[in-house]
Amino acid sequence: MGAALSWTVPVFIQQTCMVMHAQALDSAVQGGTGRDHPILVVIQLAGGNDGLNTIIPFEDDLYFKARPTIGIPKNQVIPLEKGIGLHPSLGSVKALYESGNLAIIQGVGYPNPNRSHFRSTEIWQTASDANQILTKGWLGRYFDNCCRGEDPTVGVVLGEQLPEAFNANIPTGVAIGRPGNLGFDRTSDPSEAHLFSELNGLEPDATSGDSIGSLSGPNNSGLSALEYLQRTALDAQVSAERIRQMLRSSKNEVSYPRNQLGNSLGLIARLIAGGLPTRVYYASQGGYDTHAGQTNTHQRLLSEFSAALFAFCNDLKRKGIFDRVVVMTFSEFGRRVTENANGGTDHGTAAPLFVCGGGVNPGLYGKQPALDKLDSGDLFYGIDFRSVYSTILLNWMKAPAGKILGREFPKLSFV
Amino acid sequence: MLAPLALNRWDFDAAAHLLVRAGFGGRAEEIEKLHALGPAKAISSLVDSQPESYAPPACADPHGQDELRNQLRDAVTPEQKQSVLKLLNERFRYEMSDLTRWWVTRMVNTRAPFLEKMTLFWHGHFATSGQKVRHAYKMWHQNEILRQNGLANFANLTKAISRDPAMMIWLDTVQSKKERPNENFAREVMELFSLGEGCYSESDVKEAARAWTGYRIDKDNQFRFAPAQFDSGLKTFLGETGSWNGDQIVDMIVSQPQCARFIAAKIWKFFAYEATDPKLIDALASEFRNVQYEIRPFMKQVFSAQEFYGTEALNSQIKSPVQFLVQAFRTMPIALPESSVLEFAFRQMGQVPFYPPSVKGWDGGNSWINTATLTFRYKLARQLVEGIDPQEIGLPKPLAMDMGGIRPATTPALLVDQIITASDRQQPQNVVEKLFVRIFQCSSKFELATRFREFLSNRSLPLEDSTIRGLAALMMTTPYYQLT
Repeated sequence: MGAALSWTVPVFIQQTCMVMHAQALDSAVQGGTGRDHPILVVIQLAGGNDGLNTIIPFEDDLYFKARPTIGIPKNQVIPLEKGIGLHPSLGSVKALYESGNLAIIQGVGYPNPNRSHFRSTEIWQTASDANQILTKGWLGRYFDNCCRGEDPTVGVVLGEQLPEAFNANIPTGVAIGRPGNLGFDRTSDPSEAHLFSELNGLEPDATSGDSIGSLSGPNNSGLSALEYLQRTALDAQVSAERIRQMLRSSKNEVSYPRNQLGNSLGLIARLIAGGLPTRVYYASQGGYDTHAGQTNTHQRLLSEFSAALFAFCNDLKRKGIFDRVVVMTFSEFGRRVTENANGGTDHGTAAPLFVCGGGVNPGLYGKQPALDKLDSGDLFYGIDFRSVYSTILLNWMKAPAGKILGREFPKLSFV
Repeated sequence: MLAPLALNRWDFDAAAHLLVRAGFGGRAEEIEKLHALGPAKAISSLVDSQPESYAPPACADPHGQDELRNQLRDAVTPEQKQSVLKLLNERFRYEMSDLTRWWVTRMVNTRAPFLEKMTLFWHGHFATSGQKVRHAYKMWHQNEILRQNGLANFANLTKAISRDPAMMIWLDTVQSKKERPNENFAREVMELFSLGEGCYSESDVKEAARAWTGYRIDKDNQFRFAPAQFDSGLKTFLGETGSWNGDQIVDMIVSQPQCARFIAAKIWKFFAYEATDPKLIDALASEFRNVQYEIRPFMKQVFSAQEFYGTEALNSQIKSPVQFLVQAFRTMPIALPESSVLEFAFRQMGQVPFYPPSVKGWDGGNSWINTATLTFRYKLARQLVEGIDPQEIGLPKPLAMDMGGIRPATTPALLVDQIITASDRQQPQNVVEKLFVRIFQCSSKFELATRFREFLSNRSLPLEDSTIRGLAALMMTTPYYQLT
């Protein structure tokens, strides 16, 4: 029985170097230097953002009929075009639109919509059909297909936990809750620190220089649980060191609003500028579940969102890296067309989303869903959200979208 | 036919492996006792042990929400309604974290740990989340259903689950009407709970959905059958036509050999390892059928099989977060923290009991570990030894409504004197031996132990608490400690 448990120092570094060579032949794998590859920033508006009060059909009487108290008065709407306007808190978003950096995709949803936060979020995160349960996320599948062997920071989440969208066969991604909390606690006892490094397979020079990326195993599916743990420990140590280094070396060029989303986007800008080899950043803003007293809450949320996004874009522009970044927002669903008795709105279906960045083809995409043709009180979707994912994957990330999403979806042209 | 473990291979490490997989591990004396019993009696002592009576959690009152529900019904203005909703929500969150601590405490203290381990397995199998159920009473009730039926007959367990109010909300049976049967439960019962994808047709789903109509929840939050809502017409399910009801559908599912394969393989994966050898799966499935889907005798077969003690099984599993914490509390003199700390720790590690991420349950295996969860495990391990400081592990300051906005107190550090005697402190190898067995749940004959002996070799004697705690923390912040 003793032989069953050969707990010795890892052989995995040797092993992963061998796998590396095999991986180099796989053309789907995208190597990132941190300086030139395209970057996607996903912003989750959690709780179900009210799409109809975000992008407003302000010349449609049915809108005001359905929303006598929470409808945005015509004279306050920021007009865009063709009877479509923005919520008054989205002045900065209008500025991005005018400077040609913003696309608005209207009526995004999916067939047989689910109105549970939990389930609909899961559908968006895994890019599944409404009646299909997938356990891997759409970004996780992108990592599996295209980023094997890359630095663990290929996916970075601003928050304590990785979102379901990051679930992958080969767990990838780093969550930054509080930057001060990154990496392993150091002990003051040098012999303890030494043994800790040894038992965790952390080589003393693993955190220096460009060897970092190459130390990460490209494909751990052949690794034992022990080897996989050792690889992850090394990844954790290396990425924490890297992120600290990036944060030391770069600053924000503009000031950000002091809220959670502002802080997150400010950090992301510094990490991009610092050259972290990240392809996908993920940030979120919560509170959109406006069942009651929606007017004030929604106004505050959209102001925060608008100011944070505007600061982020300006920061990237000043840093000269705006062209490398595309930001996409999403929310698990829109809200019902008709306001409820509590000055709020209940869970609905299709809603617009924003795509923003230096490389975006600006404009309005898709149609504002009709208010005179509803699906038992809810909007019909016009664009499947997976068309948006597909467009971003294919046109922006240069990734095999059909393979990642399980099938082909009509492509759009916003990027 | 599964071959039993050869008697000469039944040693301390085999007994330790059994205890940690069938339960949550134990102290050296407990492992020793199990070893001395011999395999058959050791397995029986775990599988047949009767649970003590256990006080239910605070949420165990089916009418606990009634007063607030009545207030909600009587609320006139939107503001009144909103404030009642807020209270309901707070109550729900409080009761859920209390329920989590209640179950963890039970797992830690029970004299029938196997029953709790099996309940945990079924919870991941019939995965139901409080996120949608929104009622702690119902979540507790389901937990009891799993405990009461989890070692009996699989068909009966599935029938009991089909009538469980939490499951009925989770998979929408409560909304299923004769005119519009909801397919959610019918689909998952086959795809995830019994047969696996591709072993039934879409038409089987539609027909089975008709059989699960008329399931309702009464005022006492119990199952109620509403005959007027039941579709009593003819249904053709898996090729057989009759006016089937839900229980008959379950019987027809269970009569499929594929059901035994599916469940036996899943049980083997949870308790032993993921079997890839079709012969092994065939053998397990045939054992399960031989015992007519009775879970208790089947589990005895599982724990007797030589494969259960083979190289593929030993130290091959990454501990689930529940195993990580419960095992630590069961094997070491460490106090359980308050419920908010416990729930936070589970969340950071990616497994909050009563909140599986989807109806598929937890993926398990490598998916427990990413850079964030591993970093947190290391932080938590050190804190378990040194005392959990809620601020240090990152617990957000509670809102004023929870416990007056006060962070829970730091828990006491590992009580070194309870495991290390004064004379041990003069003998570093004794300290390594004692900590090693507790922490790694195996004898210290493995090479790994020599590293720790070397580590203590030049320390001044007697060894101080801080040195001993440092060693314990070091052992627990390794890849090896994540395995079981």
